[in-house]
Amino acid sequence: MLRLRFHGRGGQGAKVASRVLGTAAFLDGYNAQDFPLYGAERRGAPITAFTRISRDDIMERGLVSDPDIVIVMDETLLSDPQAMPLSGLKKGGIVFVNTPLSPLETKEEYGIEDHVITLDITKVSLDMIGKSVLSSLAAGVASRIAGIGEEALKGALEKELSGIISDRDLLGKNTEAALYCYNTLVPVQVKTAETIREKENVITLPFETARVSSPAINATGNTPLRRTGNWRVFRPVWNYDICTRCMTCVSRCPEGCIRLNEDGYPYADYDNCKGCLVCAEECPVKAITKVREIHSRSEEGDQ
Amino acid sequence: MDTSTIRSIKELPPEENMLPGTAACAGCGGLLTLRYCLKALGDKIVIVNAAGCFTLLTIYPFSPFRNSWLYTAMACAPAGAQGVRDALDILIKKGKLDPEENLKVVVLSGDGSAYDMALSSTSGAIYRNLDFYYICYDNEAYGNTGFQHSGASPFGSRTGTTPPGKEVPVGSQLQKKNLFDIWNSHKPPYIATVSPAYPVDLMNKFKKAEQFKGPKLFISHIPCPPGWGFDPSRSVRLAKLSVETGLWPLKESVHGEVEHTYVPKKFKPVEEYLKEQERFSHLFKPVRQEDALKSIQEMVDEYWKKHELLP
Repeated sequence: MLRLRFHGRGGQGAKVASRVLGTAAFLDGYNAQDFPLYGAERRGAPITAFTRISRDDIMERGLVSDPDIVIVMDETLLSDPQAMPLSGLKKGGIVFVNTPLSPLETKEEYGIEDHVITLDITKVSLDMIGKSVLSSLAAGVASRIAGIGEEALKGALEKELSGIISDRDLLGKNTEAALYCYNTLVPVQVKTAETIREKENVITLPFETARVSSPAINATGNTPLRRTGNWRVFRPVWNYDICTRCMTCVSRCPEGCIRLNEDGYPYADYDNCKGCLVCAEECPVKAITKVREIHSRSEEGDQ
Repeated sequence: MDTSTIRSIKELPPEENMLPGTAACAGCGGLLTLRYCLKALGDKIVIVNAAGCFTLLTIYPFSPFRNSWLYTAMACAPAGAQGVRDALDILIKKGKLDPEENLKVVVLSGDGSAYDMALSSTSGAIYRNLDFYYICYDNEAYGNTGFQHSGASPFGSRTGTTPPGKEVPVGSQLQKKNLFDIWNSHKPPYIATVSPAYPVDLMNKFKKAEQFKGPKLFISHIPCPPGWGFDPSRSVRLAKLSVETGLWPLKESVHGEVEHTYVPKKFKPVEEYLKEQERFSHLFKPVRQEDALKSIQEMVDEYWKKHELLP
């Protein structure tokens, strides 16, 4: 049996990706299971989705805690203690990461020792669909790695997406982008051992009284520590030659994370800017441009 | 009390009483409204939060607020506010709390709570003349749980529970409840509608409300990027369009007397607002639903005709 786990952010399409993969496997003659897991729904929060594929009956239920294949749709999740995409991955397992980095660079950047496959599916999505919605593309990637046939994938995309997307044109673009991802990846053999990889970074906390373990209960205004800036696909960048210091962006930012520097020019707190780009849209003189966020390479620039 | 009115966004108070890093969606119109409201209210407040999207702002152990926060179920935030108000009053009366340290009690609720579940407890609180602020962020559906239909969902909109289909191509067949008039029939000292696209109007309404003891109620119409289906960057633009098309009148009521605080010089056609959102896309394609579009426009026109404000 193949066990897959998708890690994405709310709104990216991890749930739909696992569903398309499940249907594709079914159409290809396998038994399949697919289901998501998320808490209170919202855009940007880490979510997980699971798919099981087998020639035999699937008697296993519940979360996939020891996957053979992990699909990471947002690379910032690799360093997110809440998501921990690699936990429980079996020896010889495969990690797919949505990143512009090469597999080797990704291994170094995130300290991964397993088999890594990469593709910048966000870029593919922006180029081919026009927006960053990754459900069908991630399904294409996962189908390739899991060894599902192309026709089955096509059938599954039609079946699952036609219920969500009413626009035939958009559905066509999604299918095209998914097949592009499918055919870009080189087929692999998944040969996982039953043992789990050694590098396991689950942290166990000793029991402490509430006063010691949760001193933040009386803290106020501590959400900036969460650094929601890793939700961004685009970042706003200011051109101070054009900026008139009119304060519109400072006023219109829903998060309130645009501040003024010593000269009265605005700048964003990139640790917490979610990249909604209301600032760029509202700027009366168009002094703000949107720049594609490459998280793995922007860290040094931030500090 | 500072009675000076604000004239431009440059004069907005620079203090931020809500910090970034919240779990709200990118481009959340409600968050923008709340940020302005907290600028106006200051940090000496207690927020009584009804379950809803803004439940997610304060997730243990994180809080974006500089003030205290109390969480209640959807139906009982005004009752919770009564308890907090009473406790503060009793402590002050007994000399256990310095009157200087008195706090404003603020209810924060979504439209599901305000229009539906908490309507009776809100009615009770207004009836008892409870001294509190009530802020409703109205995104016209149960946004936190999958955008299901609420008493605030407008006619012709697609929600999680009113998808347009063969039998009912229009989506929701019901008209949005008129919460402003429901509240106003109780004749509380102050009610206002606000919009995150008009922060100066919003701030001045809060300043005006400060002088009244008793219920001070605010409804803010707010764009919801995932629920309404538009790019998060268009949030403020859509909030502006809902006012400029006449769909969301900015008004206030002092002891029952209603006055409009902003009347667009020229009303834009409602279609401009509707066509930017996925939740109304079925009204335009595959076939234009002329009857539905016409009736939405007529509903808006009738409102402004009734108030003799249509140019």
